[in-house]
Amino acid sequence: MKSSFLWLPLLASVAFPQAPASPPDLTGVWGIYRGGRGADPKLAPPPASPLVLKPEYAKPYEARRAAEAEAAKRGEQLANTSVRCVPYGVPTMMSVAIYPVEIIQTAKQVTIIGEAFSEVRRVYLDRPQEKPDDVAPGYYGRSVGHWEADRLVVDTVGIKPSVSGYRGMPHSEQMRITERLHLVASDVLHDQITIDDPVVLEKPLTYTVAYKRMPATYEMVEFVCDNNREYVDEKGVVRLKVQER
Amino acid sequence: MAPPLRVPAVIRWAWLLAALPLLAHHSFTMFDMTKQITLVGTVTEFQWTNPHSYIEIDVPDAQGAVKHWSIELGSPSILQQSGWKFHSLKKGDKTTLIINPLKNGQFGGFLNKATLPDGRVLGNGPGREP
Repeated sequence: MKSSFLWLPLLASVAFPQAPASPPDLTGVWGIYRGGRGADPKLAPPPASPLVLKPEYAKPYEARRAAEAEAAKRGEQLANTSVRCVPYGVPTMMSVAIYPVEIIQTAKQVTIIGEAFSEVRRVYLDRPQEKPDDVAPGYYGRSVGHWEADRLVVDTVGIKPSVSGYRGMPHSEQMRITERLHLVASDVLHDQITIDDPVVLEKPLTYTVAYKRMPATYEMVEFVCDNNREYVDEKGVVRLKVQER
Repeated sequence: MAPPLRVPAVIRWAWLLAALPLLAHHSFTMFDMTKQITLVGTVTEFQWTNPHSYIEIDVPDAQGAVKHWSIELGSPSILQQSGWKFHSLKKGDKTTLIINPLKNGQFGGFLNKATLPDGRVLGNGPGREP
């Protein structure tokens, strides 16, 4: 029995290449890099795989999309979670408009701070993942990571279903997010994000967020949502409060 | 039966991406982006706040009656990437703003560009320069 356990490290090293003696340092502030005209195609993020929902989820999702498009034609925006000005959570906080993310890497933990909403994620490198059922559902869930060669692989569970998903997709408490972060150049970082949800998705989907290193002098800006003037009227449409004088 | 009014996904997302860089969390639909108004007035407050910054401004009309306007800008994070600072405007500053008005007729709008007291002209964040 004892001797069989001796094989475990070896098995692990076959399944996952050993963490490099000194893994790449992802520490820094990273701005969203969308590529665009003139960009090096090797550095730009590859296209996302399609979002394929199970039929019972696809129908209401498409209906909602159609209603939003119809409202937009009328010059209206339907109420959504953004009106409440709550944080985005994982994985959306990794790609909010042009807000940078800051990564602080130590041997035991990688901390990721999103500038929008000052969101914080902690990725533990020195402990195993819990069973999804044992993680209190929240905006950031629970993330653990390990190095596979020069890639930081991050596993996240425990995102609560009310947290808006990728492109507004629905998800269950069984959603599991696997990220692979690696430097494709010294100043370009890719986060390949795979979302699996056996309840909602027909098949896992993968998309990649690319980042470019911000100048070393960049200082993260605080973000507290204390002046939210948007509200939802009795028709479910988003309105703006103007100051009456 | 295919829904007749369905917007192709590519078009929907192209629109969303165009809106994303500035407004992280709401669309432009409440503003009339086809219409521009010039406001010349006096700043009563510059709110350097999230999720959006606002210029509160008193604008006298041709008859001298003062109307008050609330003008929305991007967030501080977005604005500081294109030259704005929290003290770019102060109470009492005279300024000229070009805006897209609210569609519902209330005195509110979305900033296109602002002429600061020192003569500099600033837009509304990266991708929305003057």
